[in-house]
Amino acid sequence: MRFEEIDHTADVGIRAYGQSLDELFANAAEGMSSLIADLSTVKPVGEVEVRVTADDIPTLFLRWLSELLYVHETQRFLFSSFDAHVAGTALVGHARGETIDKSRHELKLAIKAVTRHGLTVDPEKGFAEVIFDI
Amino acid sequence: MVEGWNGPLEKVDRFRYQIPRTYKREMRTDGLIFIDEPLLPLLRQDRAPEQVANVATMPGIVGQSMAMPDIHWGYGFPIGGVAAFDYEDGVISPGGIGYDINCGVRLIRTNLTESEVRPHLRALTDACFKNVPSGVGEGGLVKISRQDLSKMATDGIEWSVGKGYAWPEDPDHIEAKGRLPDADFSHVSDRATTRGKDQVGSLGAGNHFLEIQKVDRVYDERAAKALGLESVGSVAIMVHTGSRGFGHQIATDYIDVCERVVKREKIELPDLQLACAPIGSKEGQDYWKAMCCGANFAWNNRQLITFGVRNAFADVLGRPADALGMGIVYDVCHNIGKVEEHVAAGGRRKVLVHRKGATRAFPAGHPETPATYRDVGQPVLIPGDMGTCSFVLVGQPAAMDLSFGSSCHGAGRQMSRKAATRTYSANEVLQSLERRGIYVHAASRAGIVEEAPGAYKNVEDVVRVAEGAGLTKIVARMVPLGVVKG
Repeated sequence: MRFEEIDHTADVGIRAYGQSLDELFANAAEGMSSLIADLSTVKPVGEVEVRVTADDIPTLFLRWLSELLYVHETQRFLFSSFDAHVAGTALVGHARGETIDKSRHELKLAIKAVTRHGLTVDPEKGFAEVIFDI
Repeated sequence: MVEGWNGPLEKVDRFRYQIPRTYKREMRTDGLIFIDEPLLPLLRQDRAPEQVANVATMPGIVGQSMAMPDIHWGYGFPIGGVAAFDYEDGVISPGGIGYDINCGVRLIRTNLTESEVRPHLRALTDACFKNVPSGVGEGGLVKISRQDLSKMATDGIEWSVGKGYAWPEDPDHIEAKGRLPDADFSHVSDRATTRGKDQVGSLGAGNHFLEIQKVDRVYDERAAKALGLESVGSVAIMVHTGSRGFGHQIATDYIDVCERVVKREKIELPDLQLACAPIGSKEGQDYWKAMCCGANFAWNNRQLITFGVRNAFADVLGRPADALGMGIVYDVCHNIGKVEEHVAAGGRRKVLVHRKGATRAFPAGHPETPATYRDVGQPVLIPGDMGTCSFVLVGQPAAMDLSFGSSCHGAGRQMSRKAATRTYSANEVLQSLERRGIYVHAASRAGIVEEAPGAYKNVEDVVRVAEGAGLTKIVARMVPLGVVKG
């Protein structure tokens, strides 16, 4: 399993699994996107490159997801596949997907923001957790 | 799965319970939750009371760290939280105002009755759905330039008046007359601008909605008459939304800024999501001025939606909106920071009140209560879920003494979205609502299931406590006829 939804009364979150930061970052991004739309309907026909830096890994993780959310919202893009390469506290990532087409895409949630609440990124334990404001 | 809370709750009276400051060494004051015994098991279901205690540790807090009866777990601050900070020595916290700056509720009255609207209900709901963009990935009713957005964020609702989206009398029926004057667009990021400029006049998704409602029951005839809601069966429209991506980005940007301030100033916090800055610091003032821009955006957003609703009604019914009596009853914020004066800790104090999932509830006679409602109190609008009802209340004098002039804001969830998805199907929800005469037009099937009536707490319990504690008085109950969801 690459990720699962965290079940919480008022909020929505993702627990992503992976043995490395690269895997955790990519799987969390896929988890977040799966909340926004049914990814089986999203074809990876276009790609964007994301570069972010931070002072620490949790902040880097938060900025990566926030950046994807920003591109999703401002360019009306849905992403379905990701890769991420973390070196120190800098990241270069790629997200592939396509422009929203309501006739083909099943849209689910609007995510307002990526929160720091309970934010965990732990490749040694093999998981990352993040809560979204919706 | 969700951890409960077993900390100390001391009964103050039937509608108030206290978390004593001795609970945690770092607490500077007590926590105070407006709640009654039947709601206590729900309260202890999640860690929200711990968040009330955490807020009590923040520098410059005045009075208690409070929560309203619709309290539930938030990020850092609980949803339903009210906290006032001394203007000189206190802090401002973007997380204590929320990502959706000036999320709020507006009620628009009509001179129509249910029997006049029933034959056109589907057409009216569909026309509102068409006129007011909703759901994931939808732009707004208008697309505006960066320059225009700057003017809107600075001028507040006057921007809409100038453009013809608002009637000249509309601002008088909006909290703060639809403008926070400290707004300074130079503190808003390009990213917030880019997210916001295409979303003016859009509902969003999640628990945001537009409902055609009817007055189902009147509790206080005098107040209902002042609000124009005195006739059972009369129709009104309720809108619940906020500042969209514009406000979300401002909050995201300044939580990041405040995390750096917390490290620099060595402010000790039990949870980084409470990140804050001294009100008088550069960062505190920058956020405040940007937050005011977010608030002004949200009022214009609800105004553009009002414009869309008025046009929808006029088109379907073939009469202009003014002939249909479609004036604004009121528009309240429930995620906001306000600079106010309150009597607290033995004197009159200038404070910055954070209301996160809480509504201002000023009483009759207060200078900020609109002239038309000065004898009855400021209207407080409490949306329930789409299957049951919403409430209109008015602020009471005790709110000034007990809660910095604040009351509750809504029902609050009792079931997670995932659990709702397991429990209900979209067709079942739609059919059960239809049997009760409620027509739903939703942008997504997921939205219908996740917002199913059973997923929410009973809003009647929440307003009962707010009234019992003396914060607000119930004026009317509204029930939905037609629902537009994202």
